[in-house]
Amino acid sequence: MNVFKNIYNYRELLKNNVKKEIRGKYKNSVLGVLWTFLNPLLQLAVYALIFPLILRTTQPYYVIFVCIGLIPWTFFTASVSQSAFTIIANGNIIKKVYFPREILPLSVVTSGMVNFLISTIIIVAFCFIYGLGLTKYIIFFPLIMIIQFILQLGIAFILSSLTVYFRDLEHFVQIILQVMFYATPIVYGKNDIPEAFSFIIKLNPVAHLINGYRAIFYDQTIPDMKSLSILFGASVVFCIIGYLIFKKLQKGFAEEF
Amino acid sequence: MNKDTAIEVKDLYKEFTIYYDKANTLKERLIRLGKGKKEKRQILKGVSLEIKKGEVVGLIGVNGSGKSTLLKLMTKIIYPTKGSVQTQGKLTSLLELGAGFHPDFSGRENIYFNASIFGLTKKEIDKRLEQIIEFSELGTFIDNPVRTYSSGMYMRLAFSVAINVDAEILLIDEILSVGDQHFQEKCFKKLEELKAEGKTIVFVTHGMGAVKRFCTRAVWLHQGEIKMDGDIETVIDEYVKTTA
Repeated sequence: MNVFKNIYNYRELLKNNVKKEIRGKYKNSVLGVLWTFLNPLLQLAVYALIFPLILRTTQPYYVIFVCIGLIPWTFFTASVSQSAFTIIANGNIIKKVYFPREILPLSVVTSGMVNFLISTIIIVAFCFIYGLGLTKYIIFFPLIMIIQFILQLGIAFILSSLTVYFRDLEHFVQIILQVMFYATPIVYGKNDIPEAFSFIIKLNPVAHLINGYRAIFYDQTIPDMKSLSILFGASVVFCIIGYLIFKKLQKGFAEEF
Repeated sequence: MNKDTAIEVKDLYKEFTIYYDKANTLKERLIRLGKGKKEKRQILKGVSLEIKKGEVVGLIGVNGSGKSTLLKLMTKIIYPTKGSVQTQGKLTSLLELGAGFHPDFSGRENIYFNASIFGLTKKEIDKRLEQIIEFSELGTFIDNPVRTYSSGMYMRLAFSVAINVDAEILLIDEILSVGDQHFQEKCFKKLEELKAEGKTIVFVTHGMGAVKRFCTRAVWLHQGEIKMDGDIETVIDEYVKTTA
């Protein structure tokens, strides 16, 4: 419980950090925060061209379909890759001032979530443009988002603290993310995978999250509650383990810079 | 821990591993496994110290005696190899001024950033804002970007934030050489005020004048151990004798 109290006491720092991450990301760019929309939209344009036109994907409403996969995926990669160097980037302050170090990974994931929420507007807009609209199942959206947040926080705790001691990790992470992109149903659906490889999707937590988002916006049904509850439980446990690892490793942070 | 104890240091050891050529990547680590030239350096060797609430302690000693390391351990920037440090009450350390200042932001914005690092909320900062600006004597410069400040102005702003945080325990590392004579006087006056309010202050200094004028107790660290602890006059007399 001490953890929460400590973070609550430093909430202003958390707020400032989140603001800095969001504003700092597009600093000195002409279009600024507009890039939060432009980035996924341009990526989307590429996939929406390549897959139906060249690879002859027959998935109906392919734009929405990819969009729902891509935006949560962007949330995932942004948190994971940024968290890998957040401690190193803040080494200068860590060396000089005490503050709860867990604020740093926490603000990476939180700012990612703010960006995610902003870009969810794109999904909603497409749902209306294509006449699908929204249904009552939208109430499951916050639930899935919270699971994703907890999962990513766990990853962020582990990555941010390990990278301090093994700087290579940053590069490993990039490669793993690239492989994961294809091992996650983003540009294809969960049923497009050959039976022999379906275990990859079953073991991939991001796949379950994206399936959940797709159920809400695309299939417009109740998401698979069984897999989501398992994922929720696993994410909470993973986050706690991540925090314990972080707690242990953070004692040496200041001596590594 | 006793109710009127502010800081309790028990049998504290701190050793640093000095790498001559630090392996940061996995490859380097594997290649140098067991080879890398390194050396363990004992900085603190069994320091025990109890500081009561309201005490003003001057830490003295020659360079490399472990004073700054001890302060860093008290503020939990680094952690002991052995032994323990416990503190009671909100603690602020002024080890290096202006940590976390962002050069592109104005002085006013940096007050918010810096004070939030010390754990203040927006409301608390709002309440202190005028006081901090006034203390820094920056006047209209407060809305200019910090990168345009002179080093004196920079230090004044940083000190003003740190001193107005309202901590119960204040750790200060050799930074009272802030600004000009006039500003230094003002800092001392502020510290006197804090002392009168019953705050606990630990400060590292080489200025014996400051210790005599301001402290209620002196602790002399020598090669990682406490050589003398007690009444200011006696400790300083002994210290000056050996260094002279």
